[in-house]
Amino acid sequence: MSLARAFWWLLAWACLVWYSTLTVYVAWKGVRDIRRMLDELRRRS
Amino acid sequence: MSHFGWIDGGIVGLYLLATMAAGFAVRRYVGKVEDFLLAGREMDVHLGIASLAATEFGIVTCMYAAESGYRYGFSGSVPGILMAVSMFVVGWTGFCVKPLREAGVMTLPELFERRFGAGVRRASGVVIVLGGLLNMGVFLRMGGEFLMTVVGLGATAAGGESWAASHRLELTMSALLLMVAVYTIVGGMLSVLVTDFLQFVVMSVGLVVVTWLLLAKVGFAALAQTVEAKLGAGGFNPLANPEMGWPYLFFNAFFTLGTVLTWQTMLQRVMAAKDASTGRRIYVGTAFFFVCRFLIPGLWGIAALHALGAGAPGVTSLSAMPTWLAGFLPVGLMGLLIAAMLAADMSTDSSYMLTWTSVIYNDVIAPWRRPGWTERKGLLLNRLLVAAIGVFLLFYGLWYPLGSDLWTYLGVTAAIYLASMSTLLVACCYWRRATPRGAAAAIVVGAAFPIAYLVLQQVAPSVSAGIGPYWSGILAYVGAALAMVVGSLTQEAA
Repeated sequence: MSLARAFWWLLAWACLVWYSTLTVYVAWKGVRDIRRMLDELRRRS
Repeated sequence: MSHFGWIDGGIVGLYLLATMAAGFAVRRYVGKVEDFLLAGREMDVHLGIASLAATEFGIVTCMYAAESGYRYGFSGSVPGILMAVSMFVVGWTGFCVKPLREAGVMTLPELFERRFGAGVRRASGVVIVLGGLLNMGVFLRMGGEFLMTVVGLGATAAGGESWAASHRLELTMSALLLMVAVYTIVGGMLSVLVTDFLQFVVMSVGLVVVTWLLLAKVGFAALAQTVEAKLGAGGFNPLANPEMGWPYLFFNAFFTLGTVLTWQTMLQRVMAAKDASTGRRIYVGTAFFFVCRFLIPGLWGIAALHALGAGAPGVTSLSAMPTWLAGFLPVGLMGLLIAAMLAADMSTDSSYMLTWTSVIYNDVIAPWRRPGWTERKGLLLNRLLVAAIGVFLLFYGLWYPLGSDLWTYLGVTAAIYLASMSTLLVACCYWRRATPRGAAAAIVVGAAFPIAYLVLQQVAPSVSAGIGPYWSGILAYVGAALAMVVGSLTQEAA
């Protein structure tokens, strides 16, 4: 496998693994962020 | 032949219902203009990452990134790497975005007024709105063409069909825009953030599942072999591609840095963040997403090249990816993909409508706003502006056929705005000697080069072909910076 092909192979798999992880992580933590944001807005109003 | 069935329709319907419910649920939290435009500046990191990623990935992005993959192979994904590097460096160092957020402004032109005066604020507002709206004007039609192709309806109908059947693209996208406009008008940035979050999850699951399936069924080796056979070394390395080379890299380096620094939809996430540190963490956390944003649709484009070949009858470089998807995905996954792409498009449309509203309200019509206006009146005006932008998009972008080349059109509209605004922002934050004359000169020169290129394309095509789109873009950035320096040095500093 040439260096250029290896580079794109690595980047493609890095994208898939990183994006899959980010989706789960942000889906989990984002709900907490929304709750905190709405609580803060309710408290201010 | 598309595999879109009733299961897929059910998935899409469920997604649309959930989005509308989420958008409406938060409307009661909107009490002030700041809540409407910036969600009360209470956004935290993870919600910010979801919102930024969802906003900056629309169907139009997917189409162009896939077209780049189809035409240039892996080299077409290089702008994603450049953008990720720009995002990471700007977020990590806080270059420009830190002083911008700490200034507590709502928009970029508001910051410029503090340094360059009210005239530059209004001129910047006009340039931003013009560039942004004209750029966005083509989103609906591109989105509609993608959706019609993957569900197997085709962009245009055959003769002899009813009016409704022959205008299904326009009707579908009008209904979609109406849904987006309704929840954006009702809840502003709060609705946008909550629906962005939902849309990020749906969009990401769709993108990831389709790409896993592609690599499992076709395999990376087969895609790489196709690129090597059809495009040679230029399919892996942009410097080995005669259509790309160093000008392509330099232009994209300027373009991506300018986008990261001044594209108002991105900056609105920084300004809605609860503090400058949160805004910077959102940039750092989203940086690598921009590699995915280009490479994942790029792989789909390469898969289309692998399956359909180059120059297949009735298939253009733009329609190749959706045509391939229509035959590749099984029932169920097709519904997930459509929901994912609807999510991508709706999040982009809602954020863009709200963003240009914020600039029109805050900067363009500021001189006509009376000081004693109540928050209620301000909210009403903002809602009317969102509705007006929706109407503009409907007629300009969907029902009015675009006459010029799409690539040139998008490139020119973006460059008019990015070259001058990034120069003004850097000078505003870091160059004490910058003056209003320098700012005005940068706005004029930054817009002049791309417009001149567009005019040359019409009146002297051989001259414009000799210059090329990349050099005209590079000249816009360099020219705007030089105009700022010369204009500032010829005026006494305040």
